[in-house]
Amino acid sequence: SSGNMSTTSQKHRDFVGEPMGDKAVTALSGIGETLGKKLATDGFDKAYVVLGQFLLLRKDTEMFTEWLKDTTGANSRQAVSCAQCLKEWCDAFL
Amino acid sequence: MPVFVEDPALLSKSRLKSDLVAHNVELPAAGSKKEVYLKLHLKHIGRKNTAGFSSKSQNNICSCEQSPEDAVTLDPTSLTDEDLKAALLAHGVKAGPIVASTRTLYEKKLSKLLQSAGHKHLNGAEKGVLYSDSEEEEEEEENGEEDAESGIQTDLFPDAQTTPTGIYATRRRPIKGAAGRPIQYLYPDSPVSPTTLERREVERRLVPVLVQIVVFLVVACVLYLTCIYLLDKSFSPLEQTSTSSFTLYFPLMGV
Repeated sequence: SSGNMSTTSQKHRDFVGEPMGDKAVTALSGIGETLGKKLATDGFDKAYVVLGQFLLLRKDTEMFTEWLKDTTGANSRQAVSCAQCLKEWCDAFL
Repeated sequence: MPVFVEDPALLSKSRLKSDLVAHNVELPAAGSKKEVYLKLHLKHIGRKNTAGFSSKSQNNICSCEQSPEDAVTLDPTSLTDEDLKAALLAHGVKAGPIVASTRTLYEKKLSKLLQSAGHKHLNGAEKGVLYSDSEEEEEEEENGEEDAESGIQTDLFPDAQTTPTGIYATRRRPIKGAAGRPIQYLYPDSPVSPTTLERREVERRLVPVLVQIVVFLVVACVLYLTCIYLLDKSFSPLEQTSTSSFTLYFPLMGV
């Protein structure tokens, strides 16, 4: 829905705007309650753990998108949004 | 499948080369002799072999590089982490660390790459059948544009067969958009060079000329036959009673 889209992009701006510190996975854009829970049970409870996976994949957004879809059942929009979020965060803070 | 460790000295130069590539070893200059490859092989790979490196998976990689048919049968899940990474590199993909959380992803990636490699091979064979060598250059250049249009052509005329001569009724402008049907190009018109436009113009004129010649010949034949017939059968009526046109045509109608 369009409401969801606007909150996602706000989330994106919030995440990309500052160091991620100790933020939860749900702070990542595209990651809601459901996906967050799924990730947490897989051991990805913090945004920085997901960032770790993103970095292991050499910041390849395509591969990361694939991974997120495979492991959490995220749809393409959610996965791409999350990948984009991490990519921009890396561009700003790494 | 050989269980023993092969003697590198017995391997061919290309085999040594592919082994080196598979093990991420930098290759020497292009024209180097076999000895150079052999030295590198012994230095980088020989040691690993004595340290219990399985030569089975090594063979897998080599077969994948030697023939595309074998590549399809290569099973990425059976490779070691190292070999998986090497195989990906051989396909131009620089993989990150292959660990528990990334391994399945890279396996998938490799099998996709292998599939597309096999697919490409198939496509090449099909193309060879479809397009013979005798085909005109011009046509091959325009294949891209024609593909876009042929989609609409087959849409309009499902029974029509595309011919290698490139003579399509639909290439004439007036027929396009017939029956009030909006023409939709699959791809938006891309800017084309003046030579292409010129060629198109010539091509467009070429088709009606051929049709015109055929029609002209048919009409000429009919006229000629009519003339012969009239001269043969109507000599007498013409000379005898040249009073009315009715009598002139009468013999024709009588037969």
